[in-house]
Amino acid sequence: MQIDRRAQILMVAIFLAVILAPGLIQAVFELRDGEWPRALDVFLRPPTAQNLHAYERSLEETSLVIKQLRPGMQYFQWRFLADAGEKAVVGRDGWLFYRPSVRYLVEGQTGAPEDDSTDPLLAIRSFRDQLGARQIRLLLVPVPDKESIYPEMLAGRAEGAGIVVCERTRLLLDRLEQSGIEYVDLFEVFRRARQQESRSDPGRLYLAQDSHWSPEGVRAATVAVARRVLDAGTIVRGNHAYTERPVTVRRQGDLVQMLRVPQIERALEPESVTCSQVIEAGEGMPYRDATDSEVLILGDSFLRIYEQDEPESAGFISHLARELGRPLTSIVNDGGASTLVRQALAGRPALLKNKRLVIWEFAEREIRFGIEGWKIVPLVRPGTTSR
Amino acid sequence: MVFTTHLFLFYFLPTFLILYYAMPFRSRTALIAAGSYLFYGWANPFWPLLMFASSGVDYLCGLGLLRLSGLPRDGGLPPILPKDQPRSRAQRALLIGSIASNMALLAFFKYSGFAVENLNALSEILGMGTDLVPALKVALPVGISFYTFKSMSYAIDVYLGDARPMVNFVDFCCFEAFFPDLVAGPIVRYGAIEQQMRERSHTADKFARGVVFFAMGMAKKILIANPLAQVADAAFRAGGLHWYDAWYGIVGYAFQIYFDFSGYSDMAVGLALMMGFVLIRNFDSPYQAESITDFWRRWHFSLSTWLRDYLYIPLGGNRRGPVRTYVNLMLVMLIGGLWHGASWNFVIWGAIHGGMLAFERMQGKQGPSARLPGGYRVAITFGVVCLSWVFFRAETLPQAAGYLASLFGLARTTLASDAVAAAMYTPYHLVIMTTAGALVWASPGSWAFSRRITWARAGYAGVLLLLSAAFMWTQSENPFIYFQF
Repeated sequence: MQIDRRAQILMVAIFLAVILAPGLIQAVFELRDGEWPRALDVFLRPPTAQNLHAYERSLEETSLVIKQLRPGMQYFQWRFLADAGEKAVVGRDGWLFYRPSVRYLVEGQTGAPEDDSTDPLLAIRSFRDQLGARQIRLLLVPVPDKESIYPEMLAGRAEGAGIVVCERTRLLLDRLEQSGIEYVDLFEVFRRARQQESRSDPGRLYLAQDSHWSPEGVRAATVAVARRVLDAGTIVRGNHAYTERPVTVRRQGDLVQMLRVPQIERALEPESVTCSQVIEAGEGMPYRDATDSEVLILGDSFLRIYEQDEPESAGFISHLARELGRPLTSIVNDGGASTLVRQALAGRPALLKNKRLVIWEFAEREIRFGIEGWKIVPLVRPGTTSR
Repeated sequence: MVFTTHLFLFYFLPTFLILYYAMPFRSRTALIAAGSYLFYGWANPFWPLLMFASSGVDYLCGLGLLRLSGLPRDGGLPPILPKDQPRSRAQRALLIGSIASNMALLAFFKYSGFAVENLNALSEILGMGTDLVPALKVALPVGISFYTFKSMSYAIDVYLGDARPMVNFVDFCCFEAFFPDLVAGPIVRYGAIEQQMRERSHTADKFARGVVFFAMGMAKKILIANPLAQVADAAFRAGGLHWYDAWYGIVGYAFQIYFDFSGYSDMAVGLALMMGFVLIRNFDSPYQAESITDFWRRWHFSLSTWLRDYLYIPLGGNRRGPVRTYVNLMLVMLIGGLWHGASWNFVIWGAIHGGMLAFERMQGKQGPSARLPGGYRVAITFGVVCLSWVFFRAETLPQAAGYLASLFGLARTTLASDAVAAAMYTPYHLVIMTTAGALVWASPGSWAFSRRITWARAGYAGVLLLLSAAFMWTQSENPFIYFQF
């Protein structure tokens, strides 16, 4: 019985230590730094649901104990249980996948859009019509998610299955076709490209630790898009001369960075990526956009990678410009290709001046998970003011 | 507020416990009431007002029943209404008023949308358009089904003479809003806690046992239920699954809901023990049940006994012949299904259980299943429970039908069906599934475990507590499943 009693006291002591320590440590450190203890902030604002949630979030986000312990736990889960947490899914041979894209693929076998604000077609059709009224042609470039092109690296069961076009994506592509909206089918482009890959070395089109395409993927896509543009005759090849220069960069994949666990970042070697930087032939300077171009390109981080990131001027925009022989105008919004990038364009109506073609790139997962959904964005004519 | 959050665990709970033990006994009840309203109002400051109004009606009903009885005080305490004394018409009206007010609350917040939806569907069939009644968008207050049932039990127990009316409104608010069991039970009946409101002991033994319960409940939720939610979510959100993936997914959900709900109950029991209250047991290894009848003796006791005592028995129970018994069983389970949520899925879930209870009653103790070895009976029962969970988990009826098709190999599968493996069969999920299976079928429950705290058990519970807290920080907020009810 005496043993039980001491065990009880130990139990209570452990419990009290566990529940008291994080708050006390936080308060001590905040006072030491001359700050007002954040825990008392709750008394400073009216107790609305919004303020209470913000307070709760701030306690968590600034907690020193969480900051110290969470990375260790995440590393443990990743190292011993192959669990990369809420942002990523661990695939085969060190590949990582973006969890929302995996969800998109797995859950994309059924389901039309839930309502009008989530229906890409309505927003796309409206955009196409508004551009059409200005004599501007629209060309869509839905970029397949990595999971769709390399499903076997996600789950061994899909070995030999080839690429996957999930039902939701297929449905949108069919509806685009029925509505007469032009798009470049990169699924087909990448399917053909994959057939030329060796079985022992898959993964030329996408990076292993990143959610984006590789320089090879960029090149395959730009060639296909440029061919489509030139074949349609809206734009003819320009005479702006560009050359290329190989540049090798070491990239820590965005999926690794999203985990925000230094131990995992240290454990995973950055990928070595050889890019082809596009150079202005005359000046010898890296490619630069031109706002008076006849071609405007809108898109998300698939446009940003290698272009605004290291080594710069080696991404989709530069390579498309080289293929078309003319500089382009571009607007890039990370993760915001569904609505935000069009809102950015609506805020800068002058950019549509002189344009004859708008190329709109968006990642496949945006079809369902686009930030702000797929809102209809009215474009303002240059010279008028928007309210 | 949710038990498994940084705010509750590291700020609310320690502050509350310090204040609680610093106060004299009489003030502790008021502190619990105030703390409970704060706890409940955190998500939506409007909800405590609603609960306060509901408490007010039932409290006044209790007082009215007492005054109308004309009985003198019983040694300083309000008297219990004699069971053998007939109730007056006014007393009956008071009881009906209390029940009606609670049912009206539920009807408005929980069932009005469902009713409108069905009325409009019916009007469409009859060619009267789809908008016969405008749709109501009412936010469902968390835990409303729990506290209205709790509140009703007070009025009924007082009326039937099973409990003493409460004259102190603060005590009544404490009973009604008691934060450990407020949002997901167990549904504590007034009669079971009445005595403890007036006197209860606070001992190291009780507190330590409360800590063990809390640690085990937290581990069930954080270490098992939350990871298994990923398995169940992936399975249910996928359009078409291979039959083996579908079974894996539904077993994952069966484990998830058990560990989630029993974890909450354990935490509630643990927190109550820290305040000196002893709550009722809500689970007893339900997946070890050998029949559906047995399952309902082990799963969510507090609801099944509530329905038995306040619905099944007043309907006549088994006293009016076999056919009426089957009808009563079915009726009670249909209402039990609707109690969980306003959707046809829950009605079907209740119908499956009601039908099985009636079927087993019809078979009697000598039925064919009784001749099977125990292991087979457990497996069959678990299979039936899993099939019923499909309706419980699916968001719509077509989704449930699609999932059932997957379970029986009738669904159309695509290449994407293979990709689901990446979200369901990680080493993490496999470890958790195996552990969950072992705990479900081969380990003692929290009640047996916490009965005697040895060094080893204290150490085990301490490790669980630390691990749970650490894993909690790696997970995003994941509310308990029963919060939605």
